[in-house]
Amino acid sequence: MTTDDDVDGRKKHTVHFDRHSPEYRDQFTDITHELQSKCPIAWSETHGGHWVASGNREVFELARAAEFISNDHDVEGERRGYQGISIPPPSKDRGQARGGFLEMDPPEQRHYRQALNPYLSPAAISRWIPVIDEVVRAAIDEKIEDGRIDFVDDLANIVPAVLTLAMMGIPLKDWTVYNEPAHASVYTPPNSPDMKRVAEMARNMGMGLAMAIADIRANPRPGLVDALIHADINGSTPPDGELLGVLALLIGGGFDTTTALTAHALEWLGENPAERDRLSRERDTLLDSATEEFLRFYTPAPGDGRTFSADCEIAGTQFKEGERLWLSWAMANRDPSVFPDPDTIHLERPANRHSSFGLGIHRCIGSNVARTVFKRMVTAVFDRMPDYRCDPEGTVHYETIGVIQGMRHLPATFTPGPRLGAGLDETLEKLQRVCDEQRIAEPVTVRKTKAQITT
Amino acid sequence: MKVRVDPERCQGHTLCAMRAPKVFELSEIDGHSSVIEEEVPDDQQDQVVEAVRSCPERAIFVS
Repeated sequence: MTTDDDVDGRKKHTVHFDRHSPEYRDQFTDITHELQSKCPIAWSETHGGHWVASGNREVFELARAAEFISNDHDVEGERRGYQGISIPPPSKDRGQARGGFLEMDPPEQRHYRQALNPYLSPAAISRWIPVIDEVVRAAIDEKIEDGRIDFVDDLANIVPAVLTLAMMGIPLKDWTVYNEPAHASVYTPPNSPDMKRVAEMARNMGMGLAMAIADIRANPRPGLVDALIHADINGSTPPDGELLGVLALLIGGGFDTTTALTAHALEWLGENPAERDRLSRERDTLLDSATEEFLRFYTPAPGDGRTFSADCEIAGTQFKEGERLWLSWAMANRDPSVFPDPDTIHLERPANRHSSFGLGIHRCIGSNVARTVFKRMVTAVFDRMPDYRCDPEGTVHYETIGVIQGMRHLPATFTPGPRLGAGLDETLEKLQRVCDEQRIAEPVTVRKTKAQITT
Repeated sequence: MKVRVDPERCQGHTLCAMRAPKVFELSEIDGHSSVIEEEVPDDQQDQVVEAVRSCPERAIFVS
């Protein structure tokens, strides 16, 4: 009997890869280029054993091979036992739950997206711009007279959270209920002693979402929750347990990612004031490409797990059914064969086909929200605190970037300016009335016009 | 120059419409792209080439 193919060479490129370790964050650039030059598809024994795709071509081909890879998270062991998009899967004491349609395959996955797309398309999102601008204005007004702000706590956490809830049809003021668990559940590494507390918060968030479902069932109001309650998923409406997973996915996707992108961009722009001034001055032509470049460089969601659903050969490597795969969007975004000078930010970078929103059928369904909210926050900062300076002493990055490459704090100082309107709480009350009266959270197929905000 | 978007490949990343808004239009419902006019005007060719090179799904083809 000969040795099996794992020993003969199918897994000949074996590396020790642990993206949950602080070293992966600290040495990201070196690790990326070493993997890409030696083994753009490698095998790692960490976390139960899995493939790691880091090369741009390899990630592209694997991510789009929907017939051979599965996102399924079979929590109840009813199908093939696949473990979804997290490597390792969440521990049992966190309460195993399916991560919404990101942990499903077609056709169910497609049915969910079809139900939600009309709320999240570019045309749907542009209706929200006046609301976004009001939240941004109020958040900045809370700090503008002080000359001090924490861009994470006081701006970039608030706006994505409020807007996500508004789109869901959940009361805007509840953003504080979901804010801490949404961020803590991603910045806490799986082996952290703090995980118990974080799991407790996640359970409380789940109870809050269950109440939101019950409330919207009893008192229907438009939004993503309403769409999901009535969605036709393979001929039936989704059970509550599955709905909770979908809502948690929308919160997880909507809150922490845009925060991470905005904080990193503001940090870099603070360190490069000439580029900040140029971007502010030339925003009409430069803001789109700069946004894509920040997305590429910082890749807030650095990758996703998959499971091979059949034996196959892709990008020159043979895979077996059941094997796990990590698709590193972050490393693919630094491949010099596609991005010249990949480790430098070029605000006008052409041909920026980054994979920060994923590739293939699971493309981030909130990508249009993320871009819009990011652009409105950053340009408001340019206009109202153009000379801001970040404080490196108080800046706190996530210790690990296994789930989200984010920041916990980004304090800054700036020349104080005048308030322009009401504070945050009063503004959210007003915006709640705007949302309720104008039904902005309807799908774009029902309501096409922009929100109207009167003073 | 002629341009087309492969609807099977397009996943609605919307970069083409950022690069060449006069050539590509996005579905109101899901943001997926299609071409307004297959024949590319002379003054839009650079933008269309940039859209091709920017598409994450490599879904745009010119001939």
